Amino acid sequence: MHISEGVLSPAVLGAGAALAALGVATGLKRLDYDRLMTVAILSSAFFVASLIHVPIGPASAHLVLNGLLGVMLGWAAVPAIFVALALQALLFQFGGLTVLGVNTFTMALPPVLCFYAFRPMLSGPSRLRGGAAFACGFLSVGASALLTAAALALSGEEFSAAARALLLAHVPVMFAEGVVTALVVSFIARVRPEMLAFTSTAHG
Amino acid sequence: MSTATTPPNSGQPHNCAHAHAHDHAHGHGHPHPHPHSHSDDDATPPLAAVQDIHFTYSGSAEPVLRGASLALRPGRRIGLLGHNGSGKSTLLHLLMGLLRPQSGRVLHRGVPLVSETRKTREADFVPLRREVGFLFQNSDDQLFCPTVLEDVAFGPLNHGASPAEARAVAEATLERLGFAGFGSRVTHRLSGGEKKMIALAAVLAMQPQALLLDEPTNDLDPHTRDRLIAILAAHSPTHLIISHDWDFLAHTCDSFLTVQDGAVRTATHTPHTHVHTHTGGDVHHHHG
Amino acid sequence: MLDEPFSRGASRLHLADPRCKLVAALAFAVCAALLRSPGPAALALLTGAALCLWARLPLPRLLRRLAAVNVFVAFLWLFLPFSLPGAPLLRIGPFPGLPDWLAPNWLSLTATDAGVAQALLVTLKSNAIVLAFIALAGTSDITAVGHAVARLGLPDKLALLLLFTWRQLHVVAQEYHRLRTAAKVRGFTPGTDLHTYRTYANMAGMVLVRSFDRAERVGQAMRLRGFAGRFHMLAEPAGRPGDRLLAAVIILCAAALLAADILQPLAGLP
Repeated sequence: MHISEGVLSPAVLGAGAALAALGVATGLKRLDYDRLMTVAILSSAFFVASLIHVPIGPASAHLVLNGLLGVMLGWAAVPAIFVALALQALLFQFGGLTVLGVNTFTMALPPVLCFYAFRPMLSGPSRLRGGAAFACGFLSVGASALLTAAALALSGEEFSAAARALLLAHVPVMFAEGVVTALVVSFIARVRPEMLAFTSTAHG
Repeated sequence: MSTATTPPNSGQPHNCAHAHAHDHAHGHGHPHPHPHSHSDDDATPPLAAVQDIHFTYSGSAEPVLRGASLALRPGRRIGLLGHNGSGKSTLLHLLMGLLRPQSGRVLHRGVPLVSETRKTREADFVPLRREVGFLFQNSDDQLFCPTVLEDVAFGPLNHGASPAEARAVAEATLERLGFAGFGSRVTHRLSGGEKKMIALAAVLAMQPQALLLDEPTNDLDPHTRDRLIAILAAHSPTHLIISHDWDFLAHTCDSFLTVQDGAVRTATHTPHTHVHTHTGGDVHHHHG
Repeated sequence: MLDEPFSRGASRLHLADPRCKLVAALAFAVCAALLRSPGPAALALLTGAALCLWARLPLPRLLRRLAAVNVFVAFLWLFLPFSLPGAPLLRIGPFPGLPDWLAPNWLSLTATDAGVAQALLVTLKSNAIVLAFIALAGTSDITAVGHAVARLGLPDKLALLLLFTWRQLHVVAQEYHRLRTAAKVRGFTPGTDLHTYRTYANMAGMVLVRSFDRAERVGQAMRLRGFAGRFHMLAEPAGRPGDRLLAAVIILCAAALLAADILQPLAGLP
């Protein structure tokens, strides 16, 4: 769920933009020109995967898979997500220029944390792989929802009810993301295991 | 290639004999399809060659190539046949340095790039790749720039041309192929046939001495296919084409090889004989 | 889905230099996002609509796009009117006839004028920014936007990432559609079950694996054409004269709206 334009307070917008700029700069610095094309192709693949809508009871939610993106790309996930959100804004007008920073931060911080937390368990042979992949998807989307709700709640007292509802609505999505992430990882581990050990950066 | 350049290995009888054996194989049925004299060919090392290549993909038990040799000489237009998975593409990838063989040699104008005695670096292949252009099977793999002009100018820019020079070369190349005014087109909006022709323009803009084409007629409509035949006739004196399209090969090549049991052999069943015996093979072409 | 319906056209806005339009769009978005009163926000919405009119954008597609964007705004309308203290406009509950367990106290809500005003303000601002963004950024294709990003002085790696992702997106999307069609012809009907999740996961996994393999082939194609770790950009032709003036006028309008918003309480206007 991306927050649209004209909702958040100036302070939250400014802080989001500053944090996102920091993250994007770090990610770009660690991204070699050599691997730029690979990162672009993988992030377009994640973009397409996010167009898949999975049914959850009577409703449906689109996949996010940002945790897995983080595990594979590390810090490069931040500029990759920034670019994906910019493309979404240009193509569908979801999000927009002033909220690009906040949305990048809420969607990209959890993947970077996932990179440090789950990469070792996902990239090598591990009996814990399935569980780790589930946790990666479950927590990453959960953390993104939490950050989004926080951005909303921090923008004014009047948004706190909407923020709580947003968070609550994401609980089933977290389970769906966890299950799908675990299944995607098991698919890749069978078909192309070396992909899980891809490094987008020279220094990890 | 002029006769004035003294070949570095002209004094080595072994090399001459090897080259001669190859020549004989290639020229079967078409003794002198190229403007160069036979003795000239014998003395000059080929533009690019692989010798006695053995190659197995990692994770596979079965070797793809077992002692394959191939030489690409100026003026030669070779059709390479073979079943799916026989190792035709693998052979070209080895020649271009995209894969490394387990044993065997890769040479550029007689200079070994890969051999048992030396460690190969990526940079060693730069001169070869400048002279030999490679057209991929899938144009989407090759056209990665946002606009046509940028894609065609990509090679010249990498080779040190200034942006203005690269733009001029790219525009001239597009015009030569009949795609003038395509420069500002967005790559992903091109049709399949247009993509193939722009990919060819991108290779030709690097002004290579020879072309390697991997199944160029896949997914081409008859009109684009005819256009490709005309362009190759006009602009490509030397090439090697992998294809299952026998009619296309009959139009564009004058000698035929096949990859069989991991080695390169003279094709016994060539597109020429095929076209003549086939009821639908009513193509007009001239021998010699 | 990946088409750019607003990018084709011959209006003055379509022809303008995308750099100028991007700067103007950013300035307008920032100014509009800072507005706090409905008057200037309504004027901003009018400005955005006027820009769309000037760009002669196809109205049905524009409205469909706006409807999609307003899903989030509609979600906020469920909460905002009841979340601020003020003069009550509408009361839901309490429900005296019903037992307490069926209609507890927190279910009785009061919509206030302040709450409705806040929801209205958000709606005006959100739509104003989106309209201006479509009229300014949407009237260039994404390739042109990517080049403009680089020429505005942003890191070239970022611009290249945007351009390459956009280029590859079409290839990957085509591949995904082929997979989905293949699943559909074999009778796949999605539902909330493990089979559905596994099927979608396999599709997503396949899209990722194939993209990974393609990345290798594209890398090879780049190396064959002399790529050695450095991208060189061609210089693009500049836009038309007057583009800077156009951007300046839009920026001034946005700044004037913001100034009016700030000065309004000071002047004691309604």
